Amino acid sequence: MATLSNNDIARAIYLVSKDKTHTELHDINNKVVKFLARRRLLSKTEDILERLDKIINHESGKIVVKVLSARKLKEELKKELIFFLKKRYKAKEVILTETIDEKLLGGIGIEINDEIIDLTVKNKIKKLQEYLIRKI
Amino acid sequence: MSTNYIVENLKKEIDNFSSQIKAEKIGHVLEVFDGIAKISGLSDIKSSEMVTFPNGEMGVALNLEEDTVGVIILDDFSKIREGDEVKATGKILEVPVSDNIIGRVVNALGVEIDGKGVIKADKTYPIEKVAPGVITRLSVSEPVSTGIKVIDSIIPIGRGQRELIIGDRQTGKTAIAIDTILNQKGQDMICVYVSIGQKDSKLRKIQTRLEKGGAMAYTIIVSAGSSEPAPLSYIAPYTGVSIAEYFMDQGKDVLIIYDDLSKHAVAYREISLLLRRPPGREAFPGDVFYLHSRLLERACRRNKEYGGGSITALPIVETQAGDVTAYIPTNVISITDGQIFLETDLFYKGIRPAINVGLSVSRVGSNAQIKAMKKVAGTLKLDLAQYRELEAFSQFGSDLDNATKQQLERGKRAVEVLKQPQYSPVAVERQVAVLYALTKGYMDDIPVDKIKEFEEGFVNYAENHTKKFYKEILETKMWTDAGEAELKKAIEEFKNDFQNFQGQSLGKFS
Repeated sequence: MATLSNNDIARAIYLVSKDKTHTELHDINNKVVKFLARRRLLSKTEDILERLDKIINHESGKIVVKVLSARKLKEELKKELIFFLKKRYKAKEVILTETIDEKLLGGIGIEINDEIIDLTVKNKIKKLQEYLIRKI
Repeated sequence: MSTNYIVENLKKEIDNFSSQIKAEKIGHVLEVFDGIAKISGLSDIKSSEMVTFPNGEMGVALNLEEDTVGVIILDDFSKIREGDEVKATGKILEVPVSDNIIGRVVNALGVEIDGKGVIKADKTYPIEKVAPGVITRLSVSEPVSTGIKVIDSIIPIGRGQRELIIGDRQTGKTAIAIDTILNQKGQDMICVYVSIGQKDSKLRKIQTRLEKGGAMAYTIIVSAGSSEPAPLSYIAPYTGVSIAEYFMDQGKDVLIIYDDLSKHAVAYREISLLLRRPPGREAFPGDVFYLHSRLLERACRRNKEYGGGSITALPIVETQAGDVTAYIPTNVISITDGQIFLETDLFYKGIRPAINVGLSVSRVGSNAQIKAMKKVAGTLKLDLAQYRELEAFSQFGSDLDNATKQQLERGKRAVEVLKQPQYSPVAVERQVAVLYALTKGYMDDIPVDKIKEFEEGFVNYAENHTKKFYKEILETKMWTDAGEAELKKAIEEFKNDFQNFQGQSLGKFS
């Protein structure tokens, strides 16, 4: 028997519950929980749900973006950022979650899934440090 | 130095600095153990792509799974923690290469470890490369002279050949390799010695020996010591061959020694098992054959249109109790173009180098042998084989006919002539002269225990009396009738003297 990965299960849940009515969903959810219990996979639910979340986001063209900055971002900048991200990732919807970290000194860092665009001053200084002490 | 000067300099440096903005792929460490890390994220990573850890440690992605990546860590892994951010570099693992590397000792990543300062390098070569194709190749036709009589005469090695040196521990495998490097002085050859999982004391001994023999002027040592993690042992031979390729690309001939591939296979087995790849025979992973074949296939001789140059590989494999049918020995035997088989029994009998002539072969080397050597060595292998066959008979002590007796006597002398102490390579023209004397029967009436004495004396004597013969061999690779006559005369003269003065000091004959 081929092993089922959490990702497979999450994908299966997504596919069966896609375009279903509310009552149907209730039924499906029951079945899913029963299946997980039978296969002793209930301990993995957290991971499965996380993956399900990602799959739903991916399928509906939504991206979750983590923005790191030293200060709170201005609304204008946010709009610009969302516009840019929509274009770059061909997404329909962009959800920004802001994190403020004064250690970054300035600039912003953007994290989308496993991709980062680091435009913080801290990163630049680090790069400059590496450049200045490089072996010639 | 004024402050202004420093500030100005700094400003200049900073002016040259530019940082590019780019999207980077990152992942997070899930677990770290025994030089291996499991990493989440890092989508779109390539196989054997380099990754960097927060403290600058480097890693190579080997296992690409659904949502994790198995990475081997090429540095100290004790500072890497769970959750650390890992960045993909988009580059395949590379090593710095330059002409400055000659004479240095480097580790598996091409970084110096001999304390002689940073090696300036302007280029990098990827450590994994597809071997040169058929079109670019040329068949083996130039010899590599090892300076070891038995090898140069019976199991000759050509430039671009891959000849395995195989034998139990303590049979002189490394000695053959080191002697070969020592003999490359003035032969226009770059040597790369790759030490895999060896004791640092042994490496130091080898380095000192090479320095003493003036061989470090054309040698590079790549070392992955036994105290370093297995991933470094795994990549060391690829690093070595990449350095060799750098010199081959300049049209040079390179000799590379892998000491030894059994330890390399063991290191790879360790990595594979830690990465949870399924074990096969002797717990080696399924691709252990490919591991060595892709490495040894990179030894080649390229034709002129593609820049010429060659890489000759001498892999070493250690056997356990003479068992050549184990997994790694059979694999490497089938990949290489022949093997030099060393035996413990011969070693203790005093036949050193302890090469078993019957089991050793060179599949392409005979094309590379010079004509003169072919002429004298042609019957030598047969003589020795017959001798070994008859030797068993003679044990019974029964009466033997004259032909058999003669063959036995000749065989004994051949064995004696082919003995050679360590670190004393013999030039090819001298080898030809000595073997000529042997195969033409000039030594048949010299007592066996005096053969070594005779040989030594003759080589000294010939130095002054067969100049023409030597010159011919060096220039045309073959003797003329006049040269042969000169050699014959010299042998006869020397033999007369030798027999008259037998037992006295050899000084008189030179």
